[in-house]
Amino acid sequence: MTVLDAPVPVEADAPPPPPDDDGGAGGLAARAAGLPAVVLRWAIIVGSTLAIFSAFLVAKGADPLAVLESMWDTALGTPDSAGETLIRATPLLLAALAAAVPARAGLFNLGGEGQLLMGAIGAIAVADRLGGDWPTVPTLTAMAFGGAALGALWALLPALLKVATRTNEAISSLLLNYIAGIIVTWLCFEPWKDPTSLGQAYSRELEGPERFPVIWGQRVHPGIFVGLGAAVVLWLVLRRTTWGFKLKVLGGNPAAARRAGLAVGGLSVAAMVVGGAMAGLGGMIEVAGTEGRLRPELLAGFGFIGFLASWLAKHDPLKAVGASIVLGAIAVGGSGLKITAGLSGGAVNILMALVLFAVLGWGSRPAGAEGR
Amino acid sequence: MIEQVLIGSVAGGTCIVFAGLGEIVAERSGVINLGTEGSMLCGALAAYAVGIETGSPWLGVLAGIAAGAALAAVHAALVLHRNANQIAVGLVVSFLGIGITALFGQSYVGQGVVPLDTWDVPGLSSLPFLGPVLFEHDPLTYLSFLAVPLSVWAIWRTRAGLVLRAAGEGPEVLEIYGTSARRVRWIALLVGGAMAGLGGAQLSTAATLNWSEQMTVGRGYVAVALVIFAGWHPVKLLGGAYLFSGAIALQLQLQAEGWELSRYLLESLPYVTVLVVLALLSRRRIHGGPAALEKVFEG
Repeated sequence: MTVLDAPVPVEADAPPPPPDDDGGAGGLAARAAGLPAVVLRWAIIVGSTLAIFSAFLVAKGADPLAVLESMWDTALGTPDSAGETLIRATPLLLAALAAAVPARAGLFNLGGEGQLLMGAIGAIAVADRLGGDWPTVPTLTAMAFGGAALGALWALLPALLKVATRTNEAISSLLLNYIAGIIVTWLCFEPWKDPTSLGQAYSRELEGPERFPVIWGQRVHPGIFVGLGAAVVLWLVLRRTTWGFKLKVLGGNPAAARRAGLAVGGLSVAAMVVGGAMAGLGGMIEVAGTEGRLRPELLAGFGFIGFLASWLAKHDPLKAVGASIVLGAIAVGGSGLKITAGLSGGAVNILMALVLFAVLGWGSRPAGAEGR
Repeated sequence: MIEQVLIGSVAGGTCIVFAGLGEIVAERSGVINLGTEGSMLCGALAAYAVGIETGSPWLGVLAGIAAGAALAAVHAALVLHRNANQIAVGLVVSFLGIGITALFGQSYVGQGVVPLDTWDVPGLSSLPFLGPVLFEHDPLTYLSFLAVPLSVWAIWRTRAGLVLRAAGEGPEVLEIYGTSARRVRWIALLVGGAMAGLGGAQLSTAATLNWSEQMTVGRGYVAVALVIFAGWHPVKLLGGAYLFSGAIALQLQLQAEGWELSRYLLESLPYVTVLVVLALLSRRRIHGGPAALEKVFEG
C-alpha cells in the first residue's frame, strides 16, 4: 500500500466537505480516476468519520444531515462564523505547538491545558502591573512575555521532574492541569474578582492598550498572526537549526543521542520549556484578544485539543496550522449542534476522536515521540 | 473527624481502585491505556442509564462493565493492530468517551438514580471505628476489597498471570513458546477497560449518585498515575487510591469544619499529593515497570 507512506498533505487544511455520507464511494471513484493518493486518503478519512459520526447521531435519534448542516453553518458557513473558527483555532495552534516541540524530543506534554491557563494569568498579572500606562504595542508585548514566561514555568516543573527523578512527564504535566485550573478558580473568586461583577466570578475586563484591536467582523483580532508567526519560526528552528536536529536525534533514539554526547537533560528541559512558552502565549492571546478576562471555565479542553492537533499534524508546526483550523472548526461546530439540534455540544468530541483515530491508525508512524 | 475522613477515603477511592487494578493488568501486558478516563465515564453513564431504564442497579453495573470494555477495544484495535502511539490513542479514546457520554448522557442529567444500596456487613459493621470505615459501604466497595488480593494472586500465582507478565516483560519469549502476545494484550486491555467501567459504575450509582458531563474529572488519569506510583502492584495501588480520595475527603471535612485555610489550596491537595509522591518514588520505581511497556511488538 503506497498510500501509507504518503506525506500528510497540506490539503489537511481544507475544511470538511459539505455534509454528505458518500465519501467512501467518492474515494473509490477517485482511485479509478487516478487522483493522487493523498486526495484519496483524505476522502476516505473524511467520508468514514462523517459516516460513523452520523451513525452515532442516528442512534441518538437526531437527523444527521440537519446536524451536520448546522455545524457547517456555525463553523464555516458565513464570514462571521469562519472568523469565529479562526479565533478558536489560535489558542489551539499554540497549544499544538506546545505539544509538538517536546514530541520532537520524544516527550509527551499533556500539560497544554494548564500552560495555557498560566499564560493567561501571566498576561493579566503584567497588565495589572502596568496599569494601562504604556501604549498598546509595548503593553501587549510585555503581556506576551509575561504569559510565555508563566507558561514556560508550568512546563519546567514536569521537565525538571523528568530529568531529576525520571517522573513520567505525560502524567505529571497532566496532573498539573488540574492544579492550574484550581489556581484560576481561586483568582476569579478571590484576589482578582471583578468588584462590579455581582456574584459572577471573573477578573476585571482588560481594556484599551491591554486588548488586541478587532480587525475584522465583531471579534476577529490579530492574535492569529502571532500564532502563524510562531508556527513559521518553530518550523524553521526545528528544520534548519542544529538545536532542531538535536531534538530530532533525541526523539528518534535517546540512547544514540546520549552516546553521541548530546546534553539529553538540557535538551529535554528546553523542549518542554519552549512548548510551555508557546501555550503561555496562547493563553495571553485568548485573554488579550477573544475573552478579555479570566474566568473559571476559560480555555477548558483547549490544551487537550491542541495536543490532538499536534498529532494530527505529525508534530510539524506548519501542518499544525491546518490541523488547528480543522479541530477549531469542529469545536465551533459544537455550538451549532447545541443550538439547532438541542444536543450537547460535547458530542463533537466524537467527531474529533474519529478524525484522530483515522490519522493515528493509518499506519505510518509519526516522526519523534516514538517509544521511549 | 478522622473517622469521617477515612469513610470518605474508602467510599471515594473504590472507583479509582477498580480503574487502577484494570490499568495494572493492561500495563503488566505491556500497554499503557490513558483511555481509562473514557472507560470510566462510559461505565458511569451506562450503569446510571441502564439502572434507570430497567430499574435494576445490577443490570446497570453489568452495562457499565460492558461499556468500559467496549471503549478499551477501540484502544486495543488501534494500538495492537495499527501500532499507533499508545499515549496519543489513549487520550483520543478518552475524548471519544467524553463525546459519547455527552451525546447520550444529556437526557439523563438530573434524573433520579437507581442507587446501589449500602449494605452493612452483619456483625463487622458494629465494630467500633473499623465498622463504619470499612463495613458500611455499597457491595462494589466490598468487591474491591476482594479484588486487590485476588489480583495479586492472579498476577503472581496463576499461569494466566505468568503469561500476562511475560507479554509485558518479553513478548518475544512468549511468542517462542507459542502464545500470541497480541492476544494476551487484547484480553488484558479488555479486562482493564471492564474494570474501569466497573469503577465508573460504582462512582455514579454508589458514590456521587448522579450523572453529569465529564463527572470523572480526571479520576481515570489519576488511576494511571497511581499505577506508576504503586510500582504496578495492586496493594500499593489501594494505598495510593485511598491517599488520593482521603485528601479529597480531608479537604471537604476541613471546609465543613470551617477551617481558615483557603478552600482552593485544599482542593489542590489531592493532585499535589499524588504529584509529590510520584516524584519522590519515581527514581526507585523506574525499573519496576514491565520492560516492554509502550514498546511496539509485532507478533
